[in-house]
Amino acid sequence: MRRSLVDVGCMHFYLPVAEMSANILVFLAMGGAVGFLSGMFGVGGGFLMTPLLIFAGIPAAVAVGTETAQILAASVSGALAQWRRRNVDVKMGVVLLAGGLFGSVFGVQLVATLRRQGVFDFFVAACYVTFLGVIGMLMLIESTNTMRKARAGSIISGRRSGQHNWVHGLPLKMRFTRSKLYISAIPPLLLGVFVGLLAAIMGVGGGFIMVPAMIYLLRMPTSIVVGTSLFQIVFLTAATTVLHAAQNQNVDVVLAVLLMAGGVVGAQFGAAAGQRLKGEQLRFLLAAFILAVCARFAWQLIAKPADLYSLGAAGGA
Amino acid sequence: MVDLNQRHRLVAAMAALFIGLLALLATDASAQQRRKGPQPVPKEATSTREPDIKREQQPGAKESVEADVSARNIAVTSSFNGTEIVIFGAIDGSQQPSPESGYYDVIIVVEGVPGRVVVRRKNNVAGLWLNTASVAFDNVPSYYAVASTRPIDEVAPEEFRALHGIGLQHIKFTPAVGQSHPLSNEDLQDYRDAIIRLKRNSFLYKDSQYGVTFTGKSIFRASIVLPANVTVGPFDTRVYLFREEKLLSKFQVRLTLEREGLERHLHAFAFRLPTLYGFMTVAIAVAAGLIASTVFRKSAH
Repeated sequence: MRRSLVDVGCMHFYLPVAEMSANILVFLAMGGAVGFLSGMFGVGGGFLMTPLLIFAGIPAAVAVGTETAQILAASVSGALAQWRRRNVDVKMGVVLLAGGLFGSVFGVQLVATLRRQGVFDFFVAACYVTFLGVIGMLMLIESTNTMRKARAGSIISGRRSGQHNWVHGLPLKMRFTRSKLYISAIPPLLLGVFVGLLAAIMGVGGGFIMVPAMIYLLRMPTSIVVGTSLFQIVFLTAATTVLHAAQNQNVDVVLAVLLMAGGVVGAQFGAAAGQRLKGEQLRFLLAAFILAVCARFAWQLIAKPADLYSLGAAGGA
Repeated sequence: MVDLNQRHRLVAAMAALFIGLLALLATDASAQQRRKGPQPVPKEATSTREPDIKREQQPGAKESVEADVSARNIAVTSSFNGTEIVIFGAIDGSQQPSPESGYYDVIIVVEGVPGRVVVRRKNNVAGLWLNTASVAFDNVPSYYAVASTRPIDEVAPEEFRALHGIGLQHIKFTPAVGQSHPLSNEDLQDYRDAIIRLKRNSFLYKDSQYGVTFTGKSIFRASIVLPANVTVGPFDTRVYLFREEKLLSKFQVRLTLEREGLERHLHAFAFRLPTLYGFMTVAIAVAAGLIASTVFRKSAH
């Protein structure tokens, strides 16, 4: 156990599941900061919050389980708003969710196994380095290209639609009326499984995978992509929270409430700030954040630890 | 129309919050009921099986030692951030001329609940550091503090300290049976040392060589800090009275750390009824999301 930044200050509260005394203000501020960023960039924030919690000294498994509950709180209002605007393809959402639940059940079991082996922390760090590294680089390249083009004055072309790809050759075709699609159920199912797995292991909502995959792979109309993704996230994170609590006992409700409170307020200010920046500038900033978090995790993996030994209770680390 | 919609939203949000609170209250109540039932039993059991106070007098010794702690029961509430306990004692039949004379030596050992601990060792695999080896130890005390009037190797002989588990090097924990890998003695020692070092770094193990001070001819005291990350449970406090490397008297007193209040209920809830706890968390999260969207929508208009 290292002495971490949560020890500083006076407003202490004992976290019942993380089993540590923590400063309320630190976690409220953390929730606020990530809420601000997620409001500004229009992302869920799980892939920023979970790493921050781990860096602050919360055990990796508790960070993942607790953050799942916070993402649920952050997504509920958005999902509801999209639902009212009829921007949800329920049928597609249910197919994605079916896969998602399967992935989540498997992921939660995997977390339990990895904790017993004492390699969960390593696994989480490795997952984050991989995903954040790839996504951060892609976003960085795309946003710098767009900015350069915008400066050069050329017209930015939108996405080409109506083209067929390999997705359309698969069996088990279903009609998704709201998305105006007639495609195989296999790609959305597999996508759901993958996102469910990520949600359980990394403590993310999975929007950052789901949204691009819906647009480029499934070729759903952009207008209903966000709503369907949020719809899926709400039910997936709710199920994952219960599964984590039941299987791993790694959901700290006090910590979750602190993060929710901070996050809700931060998101309101973030959304206002985000309206003043251009899309490509936002994506460039977000890419920089993502790469910074990725670098921090990478450092944890390659730098020689101060102490090679660590202690864990019999159940897990 | 808009007004009506908003009112509906507000009502829905309030209802969700209300259900969440009800769930919390219901579980609190059930936790209390559970506590009411079995609670008196362990208390009686501890007083009959293992008394709070135990004394051992060496034959022939004129002096005997008695001690107590400033708080026998300490509550770990939501705002628990560690605590300091004072252990004070007196020597009956003290022949010490003055508090500073160093006529007697006192060693105080405070030991928390023993349990199993897994020590993991990181190794470099293809440039990455990950846990590859582990050893489980049994009877590792969650907390261990030793305080004395002088360095303990001057107070008591090595064999005595080894026998009674006095000093960090002599804490009696053993490798758990059925280790997956056979280990050499040196390796085992490395793992033992790692437990002591890591526990010391997190302030759970400590030794203070001059931690016990005589404040009178027969009265001594020591203060011991229990950090915020201490595990709850009974703590054994052993007080040894020495004169010229010879034990004269021993006294034992128990203190207990207990979880209290909301924190106790939430912890018990999370580990005893984990599925229900998961549903409660989900209810709270949904309610929080709905309330937030209602509040901020209203303020935006």
